[in-house]
Amino acid sequence: MTAVAAASASLSRRLARLRSVHAGPIRLACYATSLVLLFAAWQAFGDSFGVLFVPFTATVRALWAMLDRGPLLGALWVSGELYLVSLALSIVIGIAIGLALARFRLIAAAFEPYVFILYATPTISLVPFISVICGFGFWPKVLVSVLISIFPILIGVMEGARSIPNQHLDVAAMFGSSEGQLWRDVVVPYVTPHAMTGIKQSIALAMAGTLVGEFFLNPDGLAAVLLEGTTTLDSASVLAVTLFVAAIAVLLVSVGELIERRLLRWRHSAIG
Amino acid sequence: MAALGDRIAGAPPRGGLSRWLTAERLAPVVAGLAFLLLWQVYVEARLPDFVATPLGIVQAFPSTLAKARFWSDVAATLGAILEGVFIGSVAGILIGVVMGRVRELNWFLSAYIRALYALPLVALVPIVIIWVGYEPAARMIIVIISAFLPVAVTTADGTRAIAKEYLDVGKMFGARTHHVWFGIALPAALPYIVAGIEMGFARGITNAIAVEVLASINGMGMSVFTQSAELNENASLVYVVCLAVFAVGVRALMIRARRTVAPWYGG
Repeated sequence: MTAVAAASASLSRRLARLRSVHAGPIRLACYATSLVLLFAAWQAFGDSFGVLFVPFTATVRALWAMLDRGPLLGALWVSGELYLVSLALSIVIGIAIGLALARFRLIAAAFEPYVFILYATPTISLVPFISVICGFGFWPKVLVSVLISIFPILIGVMEGARSIPNQHLDVAAMFGSSEGQLWRDVVVPYVTPHAMTGIKQSIALAMAGTLVGEFFLNPDGLAAVLLEGTTTLDSASVLAVTLFVAAIAVLLVSVGELIERRLLRWRHSAIG
Repeated sequence: MAALGDRIAGAPPRGGLSRWLTAERLAPVVAGLAFLLLWQVYVEARLPDFVATPLGIVQAFPSTLAKARFWSDVAATLGAILEGVFIGSVAGILIGVVMGRVRELNWFLSAYIRALYALPLVALVPIVIIWVGYEPAARMIIVIISAFLPVAVTTADGTRAIAKEYLDVGKMFGARTHHVWFGIALPAALPYIVAGIEMGFARGITNAIAVEVLASINGMGMSVFTQSAELNENASLVYVVCLAVFAVGVRALMIRARRTVAPWYGG
């Protein structure tokens, strides 16, 4: 009994050491096996559901065909324009409103409850009302997308600006900073990381916003390609576009994380 | 009479009302009323009759709430959201603990979980519709995934980030693996988990509505769109108000839950 226990204890200790010594290769092996397993399973079971599901290779072929002379690049262009415009507007307007809500107490008291109500309300449910007032064009879509993606920036900037330590403001006042200098030397450097965290989230959310705008106002761009495949039960093209959109989403999220990390490093070096 | 007396006795003797009615307390009321007034006047002056107005919405409330259809919509949508978020959260907590405590499994699963987490789930609706059809099951699947992903990610982050002292003490007292997972890691991760469930609710509500509209499944989101298409704009907005009340209520509850399980986290 004790011998068995001792043996198992030493085995588990050796296993633990192996796991920590070879962490790097094990990590790569885990990633690799999980990806290989997924694609193998996809390939193996792809045919067993009839038209509802297609093997991995068929999906890649469909993706290639849609990229090559299909509608995908044109749709990407249309969606990309909506995405960039709504992200840019979210950043600019979000920072402006966030700073205003932090700087002016009465404005904050008046509008903060409504900001949080609007944030919690599912934007999709406002789409019919928006389309009645503004129609179905490009700008209503931008409005929907901005409503979905603006809040992390707005709230991040507001809370960031509110958390500026009083000492900073006192020192600035003591040295006779003008309002402009105060903003340039204290507020902007202090708020930037908070804004960046919000922007990172909005980079992902603006993509959801773009798709929602395209799905629920008149279908356009990538959403239209997805819907078309759904009505014709063309699972190869729907899987292909879903994979394509997922790849873009991962890329955008990584870009956001990269920018944030760069900025944090800059901030640490500036402080330290 | 007694209650009235108590109230007067409890109130500050002089200037109580004017002291309570500060500019900060008055501001949101004024802003809200001004917005509603502007909306009402603008629509009446410049837009066609069928466009919703605040007064119109108030008048549409009784007739909309009197319909059986309204209550079946509420039951369908809110029921699906509550059930889906519950299932997704439980699954997310289980997978999250495993991912947080076993590094290799985290590496094995994280590629998919992070990719799905980055992907706007509206994009998954078409393929789910192809697989399960234009059925309520599509809504349930999407809501479950909506809650599962944030809860799994936050639970994994929370159970990974336990202070080493806790683990050392646990080991000293001879804690076994399941003690460490469910006795130390899980309680330590509670604030993360609640934050994940909060996010799961927010996404679940939004995505439930998205599926309803895209797959024509009966529910509150579907009715927002059909009522609007039938030019019952006011009734459509009644549904929106109810959805907003539900969403705001859930968020307030989750914030309160976070304060209860982890008062030291503040906000």
